[in-house]
Amino acid sequence: MPKETVYEHLQKEGVSRRDFLKMCGMLAGVMGLGQLPALEDGRLPPDLHPVTTRQVARALETKPRIPVIWLEFQDCAGCSEALTRSQSPTLVNLVMNVISVEYHETLTAAAGFQTEANKEAVMEKYRGQYLLVVEGSIPTGDNGAYCTIGGRSALDLLTEAAQGAAAVVATGNCASFGGLPKAKPNPTSAKGVWEIITDKPVLNIPGCPAIPEVFTGTLAHYIVFGALPELDSLNRPLTFYGNTIHDRCLRRPFYEAGKFAGSFDDEGARNGWCLYKLGCKGPTTYNACAVMKWDQGLSFPVQSGHPCLGCSEPNFWDGGGFYQGQSAPLSRPEATAVGAAVAAGAVAGAAASAIGRSKNKKQANEPAKDED
Amino acid sequence: MDWYTILEFARGPLFKVAWLVFIGGMTYRLARVIFLTWKKDKVPSSGSKLNGVAKSYLKGFLVWPFVPWVKRTFSKNMVTYLAGGLFHLGLLVVLILGTPHMLAWKSLLGFGWPTLPLPITDWLAAVAIVAMVALLINRLVNPVMKLITGPAEWLNWTLVFLPMISGYLMTHHLINPYEKAFSLHMLTVDLLLIWIPLSRISHFMFYFFSRTVQGIYFGKRGVNP
Repeated sequence: MPKETVYEHLQKEGVSRRDFLKMCGMLAGVMGLGQLPALEDGRLPPDLHPVTTRQVARALETKPRIPVIWLEFQDCAGCSEALTRSQSPTLVNLVMNVISVEYHETLTAAAGFQTEANKEAVMEKYRGQYLLVVEGSIPTGDNGAYCTIGGRSALDLLTEAAQGAAAVVATGNCASFGGLPKAKPNPTSAKGVWEIITDKPVLNIPGCPAIPEVFTGTLAHYIVFGALPELDSLNRPLTFYGNTIHDRCLRRPFYEAGKFAGSFDDEGARNGWCLYKLGCKGPTTYNACAVMKWDQGLSFPVQSGHPCLGCSEPNFWDGGGFYQGQSAPLSRPEATAVGAAVAAGAVAGAAASAIGRSKNKKQANEPAKDED
Repeated sequence: MDWYTILEFARGPLFKVAWLVFIGGMTYRLARVIFLTWKKDKVPSSGSKLNGVAKSYLKGFLVWPFVPWVKRTFSKNMVTYLAGGLFHLGLLVVLILGTPHMLAWKSLLGFGWPTLPLPITDWLAAVAIVAMVALLINRLVNPVMKLITGPAEWLNWTLVFLPMISGYLMTHHLINPYEKAFSLHMLTVDLLLIWIPLSRISHFMFYFFSRTVQGIYFGKRGVNP
């Protein structure tokens, strides 16, 4: 690990003590920490010790920066873009200072074999200590021929880099669950990281792109506590993915009142009513959009009038039409199938009736039996 | 397997199969009745058949449900009459005028219609559920109902009740996470769709059939249905 601590590094960068503490407070806020009522320590149950700015600061003062290797596969670099162009520069700066990105194809100034050689050196030097961040899905079809870097397949590069990693962080829906490349018919047999790497902790931060503050908050948690945060069944940090968009939506009261926008330019849309009828996937989408929002808390899709696409959930590209109500079935029977079912039913019914009739006739011709 | 995958299955391939079984099965049932041996109508009508059909429908929809004393069901077993009526009313309104259900119909039929606000459909759903429970208790305690209730009736009650209760719990977020509630609702709906053609729940189709046929007979004889 790099010897100097995060704080020492920040001091060198010209960050004052005051700014440092402000950043720590912001980090604690992003992580959803320090929200407990101000009670004396002794009166709190032992499992509810408040983690506050002070603790975050102490961690950053004593811990060295974490080396990060950032791999990009079948991606659009949107997650990197979102992170680097995030409108909360202090926070992102802080995290970019807290971690030390040793390899990132898009951000690295150098190119070619020298960069690759550097990556290998870093992997060797920090074996078992570095965080591996993956952006983009991994094509597994045709021996991974659909995505190669420096002549090696994504699959190969990922397994190699994951071997020496302390943990793997999949950022964005592509790296988490396959994303757009995995959409039907999935020509490259794309997969998410956790489908391939099973012997290391894999943390998913899905979204399209992942919310920068969620990404930084998760990394901050790792740095402050030295452990991965609590995860849900899809390996997403519960702090950020514990609630649905619907649960925290500002348009929720309109849903309850049955006031829906029927199109994008009707009265309902102008009045800011619920977008459920326009295909909002908020009820089944777990993410922090409705709380953290984007662009310094300015807005998020539902607030600006567009239904949630469900971009932090697996297979969201195949989850029915984006503008089709969520209660609608995912696959409708085709007209031909319905026609065939009707025809089959009619023929079977007619045949069964014909058989029944001929039986009745036979019985009628036979000598009558006593019937009770 | 997580609930999300189960939901995708229940909303996707399973729903498709269930819907086709439902359509095919109901057509089969209808064909069985249509191809029964119909006797040729050789007797001249003493009244208008069309009139008979119209009266039969009007009475069925407007008179009997709301003027209970004309039917003996009311005096003999009030629970069946009231709870049965409320159950049917609640079910139909929620199924047709509930927003999520309308959107499901819209995707199947290609056109939609205005819906009722959630508080209204929600109360009707609650009423329908309470009515279902009342009907169950009635079946358990009423001596006559006990006699005519067999395994098929218990299964009918269960398979109708499950989608209703799971839908209600889903709307009120009483089962978490939401996709689990949604999955349970969809799975029970799929099960019900497959079961309807095999059971007497298919009466929702035959009701109109028998009402028409009876109306014709009554009209032909010139008597009031």
